[in-house]
Amino acid sequence: MSSETTASTEMTAERLHVAGLHAPGYAPADAVLSVRDLNVRFNSENGVVHAVRGVDFDLLPGKTLGIVGESGSGKSVTSLAIMGLLPPTAGVTGSVRLNGTELLGLSDKAMCRYRGNDLAMVFQDPLSSLTPVYTVGHQIIEALTVHHPKMSKQATEARAVELLGMVGIPSPKDRLKAFPHEFSGGMRQRVMIAIAIANNPRVLVADEPTTALDVTIQAQVLEVLHTAQEETGAAVVMITHDLGVVAGMADDIMVMYAGKPVETGSVEDIYYNPRMPYTMGLLGAVPRVDASEKISLVPIEGIPPNLIHSPTGCSFAPRCPLVGDACLHGEPELRAVGGPPEAGNGLPGNGTHKAACVKTDSLGADVDVHEIFQAPAVPVSRFDAVPRLERRTVLELKDVRKHFPLLKGSLIKRRIGTVKAVDGLSFDIREGECFSIVGESGCGKTTTLLEIMEFHKDQDGEVTIGGLSNKAASDARTKSAMRKELQMVFQDPTGALDPRFTVYEVLSEPLENAGMAKPAIRKRIMELMQLVGLQPDHVNRFPNQFSGGQRQRIGIARALAVNPKLVVLDEPVSALDVSVQAGVINLLDKLRAELGLSYLMVAHDLSVVRHISNRVAVMYLGKIVEIGDVDNVFDNPRHPYTRALLSAIPVPDPRLERTRERIILQGDLPSPLDAPTGCNFATRCPVFAALPAAKQEKCLTLEPPLEPVGSPQVTAAATAAPDQQFACFFPDGELDADMLIVHETDLPDPQSTNLAPKMKGKP
Amino acid sequence: MFRYLAKRAATYLLMIFLTTTAGYFLAVSTLQPALLEQERMPRPTPEQVTNSFRLKGLDPTLSPWERYLDWLTAVVTRWDWGRSPNGAFINAEFGDRVWISTRLFLASIVLTLIIGVALGVYTAARQYKFQDRVITSYSYLVYIVPAPIAYFLVQLGAINVNESIGERIFFVTGISTPGLEGNAWVQFVDMLAHYTVPTLAITLVGWGTYQIAQRQYLLDNVNADFVRTARAKGLTRNQAITRHALRVSFIPVAQSIAFTIPAIFAGGFFAEKIFAWPGVGSWSIDAIALQDVNAATATLAYGSVIFAIGAILADFATTLVDPRVRVQ
Amino acid sequence: MTNLNAIDPAAVAEEARIENDVVIAKSSIILRRFLRNKTAVAGLVIFLALTVLSFVGGFFSAWDKETIDPFNIGMPPSAEHLLGTSQAGIDLYALMVEGTRISILIGLVVGLVSVLIAAVYGCTMAYFGGKVDKVMLFVLEALIMMPALLVVAVATSGGGNGLRENLPSWLLLIIVLLVFSWMGTARLIRSLSMSLMQRDFVKAAQYMGVPARRIVWRHLVPNIGSLLVLDITRGVTGAILAEVAFSFIGIGIKVPDVSLGVLIGQATSQVATFPWMFWVPLMVMFLLTGSLAMMNDGLRDAFDPSSSSVGSAKTGKKYKTAKKKSK
Repeated sequence: MSSETTASTEMTAERLHVAGLHAPGYAPADAVLSVRDLNVRFNSENGVVHAVRGVDFDLLPGKTLGIVGESGSGKSVTSLAIMGLLPPTAGVTGSVRLNGTELLGLSDKAMCRYRGNDLAMVFQDPLSSLTPVYTVGHQIIEALTVHHPKMSKQATEARAVELLGMVGIPSPKDRLKAFPHEFSGGMRQRVMIAIAIANNPRVLVADEPTTALDVTIQAQVLEVLHTAQEETGAAVVMITHDLGVVAGMADDIMVMYAGKPVETGSVEDIYYNPRMPYTMGLLGAVPRVDASEKISLVPIEGIPPNLIHSPTGCSFAPRCPLVGDACLHGEPELRAVGGPPEAGNGLPGNGTHKAACVKTDSLGADVDVHEIFQAPAVPVSRFDAVPRLERRTVLELKDVRKHFPLLKGSLIKRRIGTVKAVDGLSFDIREGECFSIVGESGCGKTTTLLEIMEFHKDQDGEVTIGGLSNKAASDARTKSAMRKELQMVFQDPTGALDPRFTVYEVLSEPLENAGMAKPAIRKRIMELMQLVGLQPDHVNRFPNQFSGGQRQRIGIARALAVNPKLVVLDEPVSALDVSVQAGVINLLDKLRAELGLSYLMVAHDLSVVRHISNRVAVMYLGKIVEIGDVDNVFDNPRHPYTRALLSAIPVPDPRLERTRERIILQGDLPSPLDAPTGCNFATRCPVFAALPAAKQEKCLTLEPPLEPVGSPQVTAAATAAPDQQFACFFPDGELDADMLIVHETDLPDPQSTNLAPKMKGKP
Repeated sequence: MFRYLAKRAATYLLMIFLTTTAGYFLAVSTLQPALLEQERMPRPTPEQVTNSFRLKGLDPTLSPWERYLDWLTAVVTRWDWGRSPNGAFINAEFGDRVWISTRLFLASIVLTLIIGVALGVYTAARQYKFQDRVITSYSYLVYIVPAPIAYFLVQLGAINVNESIGERIFFVTGISTPGLEGNAWVQFVDMLAHYTVPTLAITLVGWGTYQIAQRQYLLDNVNADFVRTARAKGLTRNQAITRHALRVSFIPVAQSIAFTIPAIFAGGFFAEKIFAWPGVGSWSIDAIALQDVNAATATLAYGSVIFAIGAILADFATTLVDPRVRVQ
Repeated sequence: MTNLNAIDPAAVAEEARIENDVVIAKSSIILRRFLRNKTAVAGLVIFLALTVLSFVGGFFSAWDKETIDPFNIGMPPSAEHLLGTSQAGIDLYALMVEGTRISILIGLVVGLVSVLIAAVYGCTMAYFGGKVDKVMLFVLEALIMMPALLVVAVATSGGGNGLRENLPSWLLLIIVLLVFSWMGTARLIRSLSMSLMQRDFVKAAQYMGVPARRIVWRHLVPNIGSLLVLDITRGVTGAILAEVAFSFIGIGIKVPDVSLGVLIGQATSQVATFPWMFWVPLMVMFLLTGSLAMMNDGLRDAFDPSSSSVGSAKTGKKYKTAKKKSK
């Protein structure tokens, strides 16, 4: 992916070494980082946890290794073990060699010579990873002076400014004196990267560097990492749970499960020719933002094993649909994937691709993962056949506004401005459909949900639930009638359940409240447990005895208890692991079809939205900028913001990822306080930036109204899709070149022409 | 930041006013010096008593509200806090006693904070080791001993030391030897001999709270993400903790300073009583015994002011160590 | 998580069994955890023993707290007087029993009632918020500013007013201690309830239309319950310490009432000559406050939801910690 490498033959030769295919003890001389048989054990109250079991890899200069796995797979522990940052109680064995120097066993002090110098790391949570009491300048300079104590003050300062500029922080000189809390999450992650690359490291370890960020910011930060890698020539170990993030970056992938690498190989091998059921399941479990045809997701049942007991067989066996007797006897070793792959699109069987599965040879690109995992058929709702306009409206919002006054002053409060969290929102949801609201955090999507859930008659705008208007909701009876139609599923399945309630109590609360009799409640609870796929005999357990996915199922069961028409889903799967996510999404899909439910969903993951929704609204600073049928909006986005948002989503498809053109928005979401008078999006708009001044004037002074696609200014081709509205004056304007990025492809890629990116900037 | 502090100061001023007012009414309605006068020999007539009190501004025939207004006017316009039933002027008495109290507590407060925080850091660095267990157990033990009894025990110990040595090294009561003559050195040694025991006692009782708090806050931060970042830069674990975690763990400790100063002052009543230092604390108790409305109110006002000073100092300290507060 | 479409026949069979299954009582879990903590149980046993002794201890001695034994004045412990006699010739054991009872009484009443006041005040502030909260917080802070001791002194020593004549000094001390003991707890309860109100499970109940009263009772109170219990033990300790401290310097409980503080205070002047008069009540006080502190520690562990004592919670917990991403 880096521009350094040009000849593809050379590439292949190099890759031979990269994925870690060598006999223990042998390390290629040119590897900058060699890990051999890395094992990490922790002592816990319950016994010894074997968190990492036998990780091997070699990393060549300038290359990127992606380590993919779910939480608890040992990927973060691996990175900390390499950095020597595990607590002293952890037992680390094996070998970690940096440029041939053994790092394991070094004292904390000896290790400090390498940490932050040749070996640097970027952590997951930028909000807590910087010391709150020191300026960012101080923290960057500290990274320099630790290794270069003789560097002059001017020199360190100049370097810090240079670094901040490199990671894209505007006016870096002034920002040196800023404290971390004055920066947004994305900016702080940039500072973290600046600290990591301060001493031009040979190896940069990035542990979920974008997980805590919005997609648009994620795209920016990934771009910064890319630049940083180019500038320093560092090899990168990229740790992530998101198969999309590494698809575009990594040269090689290592998939980890239960502390062990279960499949390694080049990025092409892994994505196009997975040979381990777990990898196949992971790839099938992620919805694709670019897939219009709906295929149900591959659920991987069960939960990862407990690492306290050493496995007698394959650790994935309990969850594997292909499990056989052979799988239960002895843990399979990583073996080279033999034979030329049938698909013919990967590399020849050169031995770099390894998988730990006894059935490797019977798997390949042509095996349908949906069949193997028995993915349920796409459920069909009885409403799907009914035209939308003929279906009953279950929720309608008319011009809903929520403005917060921003006050300042001590004794006498002055109003210095208004935060328009939600600004004139109108939409409706019909029976049996899923309507989603997407946007960056801070765009007002959560406030919208709150306005609906906390309806009252004095709010600004009308909320009609099941035919009853909030304006008429003055008596308790109307209110409870409205409440019955509307239930909610929360983002954090742990926080949404009272830790002191058993599942039975959780589920009986809404039923008791509805005045149901005790025996009926018991019967209903058993029904609900089965409906959401939980064992009914678990009703006496407490929430903390369930896994995250199971807890979310309890939350869904609670929402369904009183048979609502509409369920509000606030980021229902964002707190779950990928494999668990698929199960919950499939469940939601099934329930919608079987029970004729409508959903109002808020999500930042557009792939999930695309998969589950019928209609979608894109929000920006409290306003809907584009709304319509999900396929229309995603396949033919009209608003520049929608286009940018869609382009920011990494797709788990390396060829597409490497060739597509991305729109990288600049800066963060502006504070709603500074909302401009004209188009809200003008400050970050790639079209606006490329417009001539005369046309820019229009964007700055007039607020673009939501207009249906098909009005005169829109091309004729789009008129076939009537359910799409957007708010932009110049949807066909050219995109600013600075915000467009195309990475040079370094993969021999015959099919890339067929997978041309959908975002068309310049004609 | 100064505006913020000024605003806080204004709030506290209002609170001081309210607590003092409440205190005045409480005192005026419960304290009746006239009854004490009745016990004097020869027994004065009620008229004589009333006359004598009227002259001192303590007219018992007036309603509490009228007396309050008179008192408030005097305080606000002339900074005159009134007189005691025996005729003494509060302002004059007050100055001496504040000085004595301050002398008694200043060293203890500083020592309490320094030792408490230092031991907190020390024990946090040696979590669950022998030193940590001993020191932390001590701090918990202090928690279940009432302050005056602890002072008394220290006093007892000092007496034992004196007796076993057979020479009077420590003075367990009083602020100085009355009528002591000699050069500056002699005076200084005498002062030290008087200071040691009370200061030691107050400090021994005081630092436990800070040790536990500082230990806990530091331990909370030792494994913080930013410490890991600092280590990833190439700092050793100890460097990362001392340079990063320590400063952050000071923030809540700085905030709790607000409660040390008044707490020590409150404990000061006991200390002054037990070590026989005639400071504000013991005066306030005497004032009540002597049914002295004005003195009681003045000491109460003093207590409130001390609290407010502590709170503002805490705000100030917090803004010093925590940049996040500075913006507000 | 079984396959969505498959209904486990075993699960259906189980249903019948569950019909009779009772929900595991949380109190029994907490009790079990508490009982597992040896120190805490020891604390509880000592405290209960002292309490029982203070009520029935009088029956084990021929002497009471008023009878003077003219032949044994200021005598060390002997067969006749278990703990010796005071300088007035009163049996110290009888005094001790009486004093311990008064101290425990003060502690329990102040501890319980102040937490009750604090809970009501704190929850009210949190529930109403806004202006009400601001005003109530101001009152709270003003009360914190008042030096409690002075008010104690004024109230208990204030010259012969009606209140003092009609009430025994221990009751007066209880009232005054109550006035100044609840503010810290109230502030804590306020902030805790405020954060609880923001929790999703409370919101879920609100969105279901569960009435506010029921939300407070079913969700708020049980979740601050552990804090309340902890604060009761802490409040009892604090009140006993305060009683001893005030009585020690002579402004709390007044003779003829006795309490541990009074006994300790009276004995200070002749520690050297009559050491048992000082050390015996002091040791009882230590036992009392120490046992409470030990209990407090055990209770804190028992209530801690992150405690590892929850049977098979391991897997769930691992998930929770790993799930900090993607908000």
